[in-house]
Amino acid sequence: MILAVLFANSEGNILVERFNGVPAEERLHWRSFLVKLGADNLRGVKNEELLVACHKSVYIVYTVLGDVSIFVVGKDEYDELALSEVIFVITSAVKDVCGKPPTERLFLDKYGRICLCLDEIVWKGYLESTEKDRIRRLIRLKPPTEF
Amino acid sequence: MAQPLVKKDDDRDDEADYSPFLGIEKGAVLQEARVFNDPQLDARRCSQVITKLLYLLNQGETFTKIEATEVFFAVTKLFQSRDIGLRRMVYLMIKELSPSADEVIIVTSSLMKDMNSKTDMYRANAIRVLCRITDGTLLTQIERYLKQAIVDKNPVVASAALVSGIHLLQTNPEIVKRWSNEVQEAVQSRAALVQFHALALLHQIRQNDRLAVSKLVTSLTRGTVRSPLAQCLLIRYTSQVIRESAGNTQTGDRPFYDYLEGCLRHKAEMVIFEAARAITELTGVTNRELTPAITVLQLFLSSSKPVLRFAAVRTLNKVAMTHPMAVTNCNIDMESLISDQNRSIATLAITTLLKTGNESSVDRLMKQITNFMSDIADEFKIVVVEAIRSLCLKFPLKYRSLMNFLSNILREEGGFDYKKAIVDSIVILIRDIPEAKESGLLHLCEFIEDCEFTYLSTQILHFLGIEGPKTSDPSKYIRYIYNRVHLENATVRASAVSTLAKFGAMVDSLKPRIFVLLRRCLFDSDDEVRDRATLYLNTLGGDGSVVETDKDVKEFLFGSLDVPLVNLETSLKNYEPSEEPFDINSVPKEIKSQPLAEKKAPGKKPTGLGAPPSGPVSTVDAYEKLLSSIPEFASFGKLFKSSAPVELTEAETEYAVNVVKHIFDSHVVFQYNCTNTIPEQLLEHVSVIVDASEAEEFSEVASKPLRSLPYDTPGQTFVAFEKPEAVPAVGKFSNMLRFIVKEVDPSTGEAEEDGVEDEYQLEDLEVVAADYMLKVPVSNFRNAWESMGPDCERVDEYGLGPRESLAEAVNAVINLLGMQPCEGTEVVASNSRSHACLLSGVYIGNVKVLVRLSFGIDSSKEVAMKLAVRSDDETVSDAIHEIVASG
Repeated sequence: MILAVLFANSEGNILVERFNGVPAEERLHWRSFLVKLGADNLRGVKNEELLVACHKSVYIVYTVLGDVSIFVVGKDEYDELALSEVIFVITSAVKDVCGKPPTERLFLDKYGRICLCLDEIVWKGYLESTEKDRIRRLIRLKPPTEF
Repeated sequence: MAQPLVKKDDDRDDEADYSPFLGIEKGAVLQEARVFNDPQLDARRCSQVITKLLYLLNQGETFTKIEATEVFFAVTKLFQSRDIGLRRMVYLMIKELSPSADEVIIVTSSLMKDMNSKTDMYRANAIRVLCRITDGTLLTQIERYLKQAIVDKNPVVASAALVSGIHLLQTNPEIVKRWSNEVQEAVQSRAALVQFHALALLHQIRQNDRLAVSKLVTSLTRGTVRSPLAQCLLIRYTSQVIRESAGNTQTGDRPFYDYLEGCLRHKAEMVIFEAARAITELTGVTNRELTPAITVLQLFLSSSKPVLRFAAVRTLNKVAMTHPMAVTNCNIDMESLISDQNRSIATLAITTLLKTGNESSVDRLMKQITNFMSDIADEFKIVVVEAIRSLCLKFPLKYRSLMNFLSNILREEGGFDYKKAIVDSIVILIRDIPEAKESGLLHLCEFIEDCEFTYLSTQILHFLGIEGPKTSDPSKYIRYIYNRVHLENATVRASAVSTLAKFGAMVDSLKPRIFVLLRRCLFDSDDEVRDRATLYLNTLGGDGSVVETDKDVKEFLFGSLDVPLVNLETSLKNYEPSEEPFDINSVPKEIKSQPLAEKKAPGKKPTGLGAPPSGPVSTVDAYEKLLSSIPEFASFGKLFKSSAPVELTEAETEYAVNVVKHIFDSHVVFQYNCTNTIPEQLLEHVSVIVDASEAEEFSEVASKPLRSLPYDTPGQTFVAFEKPEAVPAVGKFSNMLRFIVKEVDPSTGEAEEDGVEDEYQLEDLEVVAADYMLKVPVSNFRNAWESMGPDCERVDEYGLGPRESLAEAVNAVINLLGMQPCEGTEVVASNSRSHACLLSGVYIGNVKVLVRLSFGIDSSKEVAMKLAVRSDDETVSDAIHEIVASG
């Protein structure tokens, strides 16, 4: 299960958070934990360079894209490698929507599109789509090209 | 939502970078949502408003029931618009709002229409939305369409239906299970993702049907699997099949091993890694099987991708626990990871190295770790400290450098948990390595000179009181202890007083000086400290002269409190101050069993980061605590071994009873765990009547009945037997549960006054030779064997008669001896005609035993075995032969 997908800006403010199967009372812990993790480790990290951590049986893969940091949390079958696949899909979709690694402003300008992409990529904790071209078409309700 | 990090700050003045959501406010956005009701819909504007709503929801904002309903109704109006972009937004919005059952009806018709639309993308999205918001009744109506969708030509539609199926399986399994033909067809799809989703769903549908899963795996491992993701799933299912078939394929090749090994050469890293991990996790994996997996993991160690490095080192770390020798080849690569930027990787590398390192590399490793410790967080440091503790126990000769390391890090900055881990480690090392005691105690003394944690100070003072007086020069600790009386808070002062008294009681020559110190404590500002000082001055006796302390006083100071602390606490709370003093004998000694409901309460899975659950108490510790709290068994000495529970009743009977065999040097205690599963009954005076006529060497010495056994509240009753000391006596015991049963009124929960005596026959129980053997692994069998020497070696040959297979014979001997197989030698290669097996263990009386078994099988399946035993005691070597001879 992909437990959480979270976007934050460089100051640690949340831009998008989507949880699956995480009780409401634990979300605050996650939020602050991830933001702290980012603050401790993401300084000076290159775009899309992946960082990884684990806490008990839960894995976290995170990275930076432009002004935005992205965190993906998973457990069981979504271990660090599966999550790196998920975060790769997410970063390429975001880059595709924004045309480049986004500034915070650009990210917020494209907010609706990005939400649609996430909706295509992760569905209630499971990975659904993996190709950015297909996702780009799907969010416009166009059928995929390979079809 | 008052967290500063939750919402975007809106007080930034940077004009160029202002947020499009600047000053966004829920109420205003809800107002704006009224545009959805306009007769002339402005698609662009509507999309913008939906984006704002999404922004709010994505930041953890919640809508009240009324707000959500209003927005939902308004959004449904947007189905009138033909704008494609807006329609996509509407789908997402409905999913985010997750309307309640009575509201869903409003959109179902629109969605059903979309589900049959000619536009594929409408179909796919409508399926996803419907499945998200639907309930069982609606599902039966749309089932027909969903089944069609699973085999739809468009991969997006098929995937949408399949992933919906995965979710719906949780809520409506019986419906989804009917789709298995369609899903089966989708597994063969040419589209990679469809195959991945279909495989996941098909496996979930059939997961309880072993045969079906096995068939699925067999057919797919031969066929083509398109996506790496699906391939990973297949590898996982394959390892499941291997695991489940392990019991009945002892003879043949490990099934599917070739497939797993083949995956190591796949082009996707994900697949290679998954296969390597699956191989390392095979039960009883042999070195030959491990080698190719370790080789690819070793390559990953030097990958440029942190995720791969992490995954590889994490897996190797696990392998190192069971097969340390297999990982040693990777040591050089792992040493370079100590300086890895990612601290998680570095910590895993260090702890793996600590497990695989040999005695000669310890010093070098410690040097590297010292530099590393300063820049990692406490939680990583704790892991390292624990690894060092086990390393020290493994190489006791290296205690000096390891102890020094621990004392050095004890002086550095750190939080409570970290310091506690270090102190615990030092305490364990002092207990297990006698040479380390004096230096260890001094390190602890120095630590309490400047310790900010009251809990740790008192723990160390208590430990000093027990171990300090037994050292060669106890007086040198007094200064450290007495300093506490001057410098610390009342809690620490009180424990320092107790510790001083213990020194006074044990070391007669110190008594006069201790008296002087204790007298000074009589003027302390705290009641507890003064009371303790007075108490000890009066109990120690001799008025400060050099006299021997009474045995009773020593018992009082050092003996354990023979009542459970919980009971003592309750009794003290119930005690009303009066002329009559509190009598400790009035405290009940029976351990109250915990009601079942209470135990279940914390069962919620901690998915998040809530306070980490306290470390599990090992069962051995728990048993030891339980038994030592029962006065009748207190004199039995140290518990040698506790067996796993043996069921004495069938599942789902009126009374569920299992038994744990506790072995002491000259006693055996049976702990019967009983559960009453009948709500209308209360059992009282529950005991087990044991007939030991088929166990001649055992004689019953004590029985501890259970006072009452209410419904669903497990309780224990015990029976103890005496047996000849250090002799592995065996025998068979028949058991009868005897009790008084009382009817309980289910409405009030009250039991009737009178009960009826009744009995309930339980299964028989055996004490076998393996009960006297502890499974204790050795890390390097050859070294252990050589160092034990041939002095007490006993070798003999046995004919085991015709056997089903070589593997079966090997297993039978391992189980008979109850020893730990070493280096994966319990696995017998298929078709081999001979096999060597290495076993290690500790025999009752704490005698280390090593066993070398050589088996041979001939064409008529007759098995012959050579048994070589080495131990520190020849009678034990003989005893092992006797077990085999009589088994």
